[in-house]
Amino acid sequence: MNARQRVVEASVVAFVLLHASFAHAADGVAFTSPGFTPSQMNAAGQLVEDWGAVGVKLSGEGVTDAVPAVTAIKLDGVVPAAQAVSRCGTVALTLTAFRAPAYPAGVDVLSVRVEEKQGRAANVTVTLELPAKASAGLRTARLNGRAVLTLPPREESGEKARNWGHCDEASSLPGWAKPAGPCDPAFRNIRAGMGGAPIIYRFAVRPKSKANVVLGFCESHWAEAGQRRLSCRVEGAPPQEVDPIAKWGRHKPGALLFDARDEDGDGRISVVIRGAADAKDKNPILNAIWVFPGGAPPDLKQVIAGKLNSAARRYVDVGGQNDQSLYPGGKLEYRLSLPARGSQELAFFAACQGGVAPIPDASAWTAETLRRAAREVWRDWRER
Amino acid sequence: MNPSHHHHNCHCCISRRDCLKFLSMSALGAGMVGPALSAVAKERSKYANPDYVDVAKLLPCPEVRMAAAIFEKPRPYWLGWPGTTYDLDARQKEYKAKLADSSRRLGITTNLAPSPINDEAGVGAFIEKIKTEKPHGVLVILQSIFCWPWLTRLSKETGVPLIVFAPVGVAFTGHVLRLSRQPGVHVASTLEWSAAEDGMRMLRAKRMFEETRVLWIRRNERNETVMERLGAKVRAIPRDTFNLSFDKQDVSPEVRDVASDMRRRAKRIVEPNHNDCLNSARAYVTAKRLMADEQANALSMDCLGMVSAKLMPTPPCMSWAMLMDQGITAGCEADLFGAFSLMMTSYLLDRPGFMNDPVPETAKNLLIVAHCTSGTKIRGFNKSAAPYILRNHSESALGVSVQVLWPVGDPVTLVRFSNANEMIIDTGKVVSNVNTPPAGGCRTSVEVAMDNVEDCRDVKGFHQVVTYGNHRRMLEAFCQLYDIKVVRSPEHRPEPEAKIV
Repeated sequence: MNARQRVVEASVVAFVLLHASFAHAADGVAFTSPGFTPSQMNAAGQLVEDWGAVGVKLSGEGVTDAVPAVTAIKLDGVVPAAQAVSRCGTVALTLTAFRAPAYPAGVDVLSVRVEEKQGRAANVTVTLELPAKASAGLRTARLNGRAVLTLPPREESGEKARNWGHCDEASSLPGWAKPAGPCDPAFRNIRAGMGGAPIIYRFAVRPKSKANVVLGFCESHWAEAGQRRLSCRVEGAPPQEVDPIAKWGRHKPGALLFDARDEDGDGRISVVIRGAADAKDKNPILNAIWVFPGGAPPDLKQVIAGKLNSAARRYVDVGGQNDQSLYPGGKLEYRLSLPARGSQELAFFAACQGGVAPIPDASAWTAETLRRAAREVWRDWRER
Repeated sequence: MNPSHHHHNCHCCISRRDCLKFLSMSALGAGMVGPALSAVAKERSKYANPDYVDVAKLLPCPEVRMAAAIFEKPRPYWLGWPGTTYDLDARQKEYKAKLADSSRRLGITTNLAPSPINDEAGVGAFIEKIKTEKPHGVLVILQSIFCWPWLTRLSKETGVPLIVFAPVGVAFTGHVLRLSRQPGVHVASTLEWSAAEDGMRMLRAKRMFEETRVLWIRRNERNETVMERLGAKVRAIPRDTFNLSFDKQDVSPEVRDVASDMRRRAKRIVEPNHNDCLNSARAYVTAKRLMADEQANALSMDCLGMVSAKLMPTPPCMSWAMLMDQGITAGCEADLFGAFSLMMTSYLLDRPGFMNDPVPETAKNLLIVAHCTSGTKIRGFNKSAAPYILRNHSESALGVSVQVLWPVGDPVTLVRFSNANEMIIDTGKVVSNVNTPPAGGCRTSVEVAMDNVEDCRDVKGFHQVVTYGNHRRMLEAFCQLYDIKVVRSPEHRPEPEAKIV
């Protein structure tokens, strides 16, 4: 075997759950919770939902392709579940799926367990395969606006982050705002935290350094004050609340200045916009961000007019063309470092029929509490 | 775990017999043997019917495990609070006895560290023990002003709800401020042990939620889910289940006694006749049997839909009042979060609530809270009942409902789960009981002057649960301990409209 072949073999990925369809599902295993429509794990080990299928593949040194054995099992002796087990070269992959009876429609829990089998520490990448139109945020994947999958924390995934970007569950709405009068074009676009989701950005800076951060707003939905009051936090600066209509008026661009500092020394300054506690409309919006060097604050009129963009270390047309996610797009990857004979497990929560995946910022569900819920419900359930 | 079916092998759970013994000592239990419900208590021995359901057995009876420790610094004390003159042994003996007494009365299994913890290593070992044993809560009795960093560590590293009893002499404002407002923590900085016991009540209430199965009687579906954060199980059953069971319920001796009891205790009876009361009692017995059959501890029913479809000769209003007086949550209109709000007052405050429709009284700037059912033991399950008048259900002129006369001038709390992660809490004072007629609407109708709400139209929520007394701080503390967001009605009216540019 030559070096090239070895490289090829080393990079062979274990497509455990690819190209499955509802035709395959007939050979798979169905599972549910009392009174609800079942989900399925198909013969390829793919979790099949009403929004599409989710699969898992492994890659890494010594990892090989494998066909899973899919069986029906009972967790804790009572919870019906589907399990796909495959030996992928030096590691074993076990996928387990069960329906947790989370009010109101339930949620499917998919656990991905990877175990090192050769007695040597290994680095393995778990890649999640989602429908082509699904987009991944920080903690959820969405399809047509519906949260379909809850993800483990991506900070812990080993995935390389960009120097700046949004890392939230908000939506980009270009052209949403109608700024009156001359101003920077960024005021035409927004990101909006539908369902009350916060808007979160992070910017790489020198650890512990200071910066002047300017946030730009233009409210074009509400005409009266007292509707969408925003709570704005920029790391190291006192928080500010603003009602854009009360402060500037409808369609009027406005800006807030924050004397920011990388307070926790992690080399990033975070920006978080939420609906204020007393806001009637809790969906936050944000139009623009400028990050200037620390020191003398910029003239906000000039900033609003777009005349200081080149002086800014970072100028973000939020929800517009130069906006970006903190994490690069494409496949969702989690890098696992497995000790010899050790294992690691990732848990994903999938929306099942008629439901949505729990959004971590707004939900208390954990893998442990979902499992307990399933156990308790099945224990006392009697068909009638 | 459903305590009615306590069939697992956990050796540390209290037995049903012990649980019932505890309930008999607690407010819930006392309510069951109180004079207003004496008939119910007597039933047990009176009826030979094997289908007879004892309400006490429907109550959730959870295992509650709590770790506890005393934190102190190495002795002898010299300068620094609580001071050299502070008698550590005497105080610790006193607090240990109080802890044991509270645990016994609340049915909490408390595992107190055998000796006070006085260094970092001891704290570390205590943390590891908690991580292993996973108790439902931890209580620390603080005996030095220098131990506060250990509490922060304990909370952060275990994630277990933490109750801190800091008797006067071990804290300044600066020590208390941050930790006491941290989710997952309840700090009682006081000499009053009852404040620490309140924290223990919160643990018990949360465990009662977790062990509750609420029957959600509506539509035509049968399934079961679990409510996030609260942990209560929600079993949906078809609405017809209730009226079909009701149809099968004959006028048994128990039904006759319940009907007779509800008439006898009434201050006045306006519309309902004897037959109406028998039907109301049939609904009460039907509800008990259905809960027992479904291993449930509470219910919430689409009662209005049932009345509208003329499926029953009476709405369940009075039946629900009787259940609520015994600690069983019985909610109206299949409003699930209304039912959880009723459960909150029952499990935490040991008293029934009054789920209502809010009406702004704009001439007097008062909030009128109105519905056709309310518990009568509003001062507490073990206290005497408020007077009530038997009425019919005002919207349908059917059956038996109740006008409970709330004590004028006394404080009340309005509580409402908007969802499992958010609770609206407001307070006010009873101004008067509104009669129907001249008013329309529901039979129990109470005018409330709101505290700190400038305009009664701004009161948040619908189907809020009104409960007797001002319990704002207790409810807020519960929410903080379990990371539930608290919302208040706005103190001031909204800002005037800005000019549109």
